[in-house]
Amino acid sequence: MSTNSEREVLVSVRHVDVSFDVGGKKKFVAVKDANFDIYKGETFAIVGESGSGKTTIGRAIIRINPCSAGEILFKGQRISGKISHKEDMDVIRNIQMIFQDPAASLNERATIEYCISEGLLNFHLYKDEADRIAKVDKALEDVGLLPEHKSRYPHEFSGGQRQRVGIARAMIMEPELIIADEPISALDVSIRAQVLNLMNKLKKEKNLTYLFIAHDLSVVRFIADRIAVIHLGRIVEIADSETLFQYPVHPYTVSLLSAVPMPDPIIEKNRTSIEYSADEKYEGQQEPVMREIRPGHFVFANDEEIVKYEERIKMLENLRK
Amino acid sequence: MNDRRKHMFDHLSVEPVLNATEAEAQASVDPTEGMTDEELFSFAEFDEKKSEKITTPAYSYWKSVWKTFIKNKFTVAVTILVVIVVSFAIIYPTFSDYDPMNAPNINNPEMKHLKPSFEHIFGTDNIGNEVFDVVWAGARNSLIVSLAATAINMVVGIAVGALWGFSKKMDKWMIEIYNIISNVPFLLLAMILSYVIGNGFGPLIFTMTITNWIYVAYFIRTQVMIIRDREYNLASKCLGTKTWTMIIKNILPYLISVIMTYISREIPSLISYEVFLSYMGLGLGSDYASLGRTISQYTTFMTGHPHLFWIPVAVMAVISVSLYIMGQKLADAADPRTHR
Repeated sequence: MSTNSEREVLVSVRHVDVSFDVGGKKKFVAVKDANFDIYKGETFAIVGESGSGKTTIGRAIIRINPCSAGEILFKGQRISGKISHKEDMDVIRNIQMIFQDPAASLNERATIEYCISEGLLNFHLYKDEADRIAKVDKALEDVGLLPEHKSRYPHEFSGGQRQRVGIARAMIMEPELIIADEPISALDVSIRAQVLNLMNKLKKEKNLTYLFIAHDLSVVRFIADRIAVIHLGRIVEIADSETLFQYPVHPYTVSLLSAVPMPDPIIEKNRTSIEYSADEKYEGQQEPVMREIRPGHFVFANDEEIVKYEERIKMLENLRK
Repeated sequence: MNDRRKHMFDHLSVEPVLNATEAEAQASVDPTEGMTDEELFSFAEFDEKKSEKITTPAYSYWKSVWKTFIKNKFTVAVTILVVIVVSFAIIYPTFSDYDPMNAPNINNPEMKHLKPSFEHIFGTDNIGNEVFDVVWAGARNSLIVSLAATAINMVVGIAVGALWGFSKKMDKWMIEIYNIISNVPFLLLAMILSYVIGNGFGPLIFTMTITNWIYVAYFIRTQVMIIRDREYNLASKCLGTKTWTMIIKNILPYLISVIMTYISREIPSLISYEVFLSYMGLGLGSDYASLGRTISQYTTFMTGHPHLFWIPVAVMAVISVSLYIMGQKLADAADPRTHR
């Protein structure tokens, strides 16, 4: 688990702020000082409540939302701010996105064939027409759809099928990083597992890296290798998936985990949600920063808080032994 | 609590017992007795692909538009009327030898002011011309002018409007140009233009398009802005699609219905414009037949020979209204929400 330093960093987010103009000179800062690395081949998840800025981070990486401070590196190259057209095209080619709502993210007036080959057409990633059709067929097959679906329109598909079309559209570009923005929140519970398993299967086959944005903790625990918890635009804790669930230290993480419903009536009955209010932040006078409390386990704390968190993590470690 | 649980599961413990006795009763007369499992059972094949099949017939947009359009009998009747009237207006004048600069019966008093009859379908006018010929020659020119002006307005308006709706930078200055142009009185502009560039087909179409395209563009801009920020456009952007491809593939297909509605209003309104401008003496010159000028000339006979005034007005009304209704119905059919 602590081999992080040896692994290849694919995306590096450095002190990124994202803010939006809200009329006049007022600004709304959606993401404050985001700082993390995504390693090649892992699934990195960002969790947080609605409006916490998790989608904004994803969109900043794919260059939909501009960063107002800091920089984002992709394989060591800066991709935030002003970059040349060629670099922009490289980013599009290598970073793809799976959208939350499969009903809204497909062009209803285009056939599935066009929807899937849109990226191929833009970058001319095929030899001839036959090659393009073959690639579309392959992409459809990869996500468990049939080649005969090519001539259909998105409204003829079920939600799960549409989301798989969305996945096929991203996969056909053969990207290195896929940003999945709550890819299963709009889906029926019965087909969530299907889409998640498909994503895991494709990840193995194509050696992909995922940035998985979600608010559903049980899903994140299933799919993610590392998790960042974000609260009000501020990343408060980053750790390996299991570490985070076993040894949560930041009070917001603790509160978030306490809100997960348990599928056992007796435990569920005794479960108490711990409420976290923003006032608890910044105990003491010092401004908190990201600190590494254990190897690979980062928490947002100041000197006073870190002592408390250290006690907590020791207590948990003794408990788990 | 324990008691309740017991009761809750009562039926579970009873049912299997009943089933077992039933099975025993059946087994005594079972004809399959003595057969092995391999003989009795075969593996059911499970094909995951089968569940993905879509059984509904394939959807085709234009086919559905056509089906919806011809479903309504009234629509079909109006369409036939449009086809007849428009093709008659375009074909008939090439056979009649009507020339507005020529009045062969002007010195024959017997040919003047005849009432409509079999021989003279719409009657004759004050200089002995067949009103039938005059009206259709005028209708032809009015139709040509309005169709040409509509085509130019729509093409320019849609192209500019689509870009205008997409580009926030362009919006800043285009909205100012729109404000300026829309505040210029159209009649004033038409008068100045007719003095400067004269009369005729070209100048009239120019007058009708020089400012009118911006209203089309403004309308399209608003429509584009409504669907511009939908998520599928964001998805296209993430796939590296260029603005023009996005306009053609993502935006315009959604606007077919509203564009049809606009065209169905634009053609009749430009026919009226032509009539109005010609009536005011600003339209086609006196060497062209024109519905507007015909109506303005015949206005003086409104009391004495009312058919001279009402016939061209009625022809104009029939053309405008039938074109308008057909356009509206086509626009309805082009809306996929009405399909199936």
